[in-house]
Amino acid sequence: MGNRSWKRPFWFVALLSVLLTSCLPSSPGDAKGGQTITLYGFSIMKDALEKDIFPAFKAKWKAEHGQDVEFVSSFAGSETVTNQILQGAPAQIAILSIDRDAQRLKEGGATASDWHSLPNHGIVNKTPFVILVRKGNPKAIKDFSDLGNSGIKVIHPDPVSSGGAQWSILAIYGSELKKSENETGKPDPTRALQTLRAIWKNVISTPGSAREARTQFETGYGDALITYELEGLMMKGSSADIEMVVPKSTIFSEHPAVIIDRNLSATERPAVEAFLNFLWSDEAQKAFVKNHFRSVTNESFNNANKEFAKIDQPFTVEMFGGWEKAFPDVIDKVFMKQVLNH
Amino acid sequence: MAANLSSMRHVRGFDVVKPLSITVMIAVMLPLILLPLASIFIFGTNKGLASFWSALSAPEAIFALKLSMVTSFWATVFNVIFGLFAAYVLSKYSFWGRNAVIVTISLPTAIPTAVAGFALLLLWGPYGTLGRLLDPQGIHLMFTAWAIILANIFVTFPLAFGVIKPVFDTMSLSLEEASATMGASRWQTFWHVTLPSLRGAIVSGALLTFARAVGEFGSTILVSGNLASRTQTAPLYIFAKFNEGQVEAANAIAIVLALFSFVIFSILFFARDWLEAD
Repeated sequence: MGNRSWKRPFWFVALLSVLLTSCLPSSPGDAKGGQTITLYGFSIMKDALEKDIFPAFKAKWKAEHGQDVEFVSSFAGSETVTNQILQGAPAQIAILSIDRDAQRLKEGGATASDWHSLPNHGIVNKTPFVILVRKGNPKAIKDFSDLGNSGIKVIHPDPVSSGGAQWSILAIYGSELKKSENETGKPDPTRALQTLRAIWKNVISTPGSAREARTQFETGYGDALITYELEGLMMKGSSADIEMVVPKSTIFSEHPAVIIDRNLSATERPAVEAFLNFLWSDEAQKAFVKNHFRSVTNESFNNANKEFAKIDQPFTVEMFGGWEKAFPDVIDKVFMKQVLNH
Repeated sequence: MAANLSSMRHVRGFDVVKPLSITVMIAVMLPLILLPLASIFIFGTNKGLASFWSALSAPEAIFALKLSMVTSFWATVFNVIFGLFAAYVLSKYSFWGRNAVIVTISLPTAIPTAVAGFALLLLWGPYGTLGRLLDPQGIHLMFTAWAIILANIFVTFPLAFGVIKPVFDTMSLSLEEASATMGASRWQTFWHVTLPSLRGAIVSGALLTFARAVGEFGSTILVSGNLASRTQTAPLYIFAKFNEGQVEAANAIAIVLALFSFVIFSILFFARDWLEAD
């Protein structure tokens, strides 16, 4: 008797397990008879890729080869994505925020190809760094240095996980060097360091990626956010109550794409390489511009987007001698050692 | 003295402590648990039920919920069976190192879940101690559904065991002894005598494990690869949508998970009475 009532839940569990295993989820991303491309990207690449670039390439590949291509993707801070791939995540192609992460993938054996030999040194698009503030700019922020004033709450992504955060540090530091050089004829690293320290004192939150930082800012947190221009333009497009402040001098971030050779079989390679090259096609570059990135192949595409800000004194990572120097000299020696652990 | 006071109140016919203590209890729960939960419901539905529903019926969302259910289910099956077995062994036999085993089983409670995920990667990852040997054989555990199941097993390891073991400990040995004297085999005794008296503990252990596994985030994000419609569980989906600024989509799934836990714990609450009364 007691025995029978015990068997009731037993059959119930047995039935439930049959039910559950029968609905083991099958991925809608699996292309039938086609190929799947697995892409890992840094946070702000998501919209441009999913809305325009993936569909455009799918159509192109289908027309040329009669084969279906599906994309599966994951997005996070550039350093996070790089660490995931180094730990073995199944990426076949990665689009990263900073060249240093591509370098780390190479050192870790994930990629064997030389992305610098690709078009534009492997850089697929670029965007300048700007400051986002609340509507009406109540704290009267006009340039990076104003962010160090007392009482300003700054949201800044975390340099440990986000490439955008490192661009932002280079933007602040470099803009002070550049302005001091234009004013006195000599770059002033002391002034640049002081500005960086003053701003970092006002940072109230360091989210894991640029996109995460934007979400925090959008939910009403903080007075200012340093981020990619495209994030500001996208927020304007969604009619958020924010304004964009364009610094007098700022950096253009440049984003490399890398093939992860380790996760690529010979049969998969042609489509992945075709997709990589497609990123520099006019079609893809125009799609980037539509999504507020700036084209690296043709400046006239950029003129088509009237919302793009005019930068008075722009610079790139080349000012520091490329990422090979910028990371140890500025991010590590200046930021980590003299700002963060000051 | 205390007894005197309370009986005095009853004499007066009104126990002021009762409404007061209930109010204090609710007042404490309000900002800590009730209001945060309520805001999920408010933000998830403030753009209307239509947008709530379309967020829920997105293929990626449905996939994420299914994946969470299936991986949590298998982790639960494993942990209940193992928890039962370990509780049996540990309460029946005493041996050198017994306490060390008990402590080890309980460890995952105190270990940050991110550490659990990292530990799994270090062992089973393509460059991990064992993963390195399996990888050339074409066996990949990390960044698949298996990784999610392994992570779930790790973080929920002590739960079922923790519920079942005390019941074993307090179980009267006389029934089992009687069964043995009547000529029942060890297996018959276990199946007909021991197991039935444990069913309440088994069911609550299973539900607890399942509920905890469905909500697991910290270890999963490290080991799963977080690919939408591939290895993205419901909590990872919520996190991804929140990071993208799609707060409504994140909230829609959060509501499902909140309701789900509510159902689980209601079942837990009523099933225990039902099973133990039986």
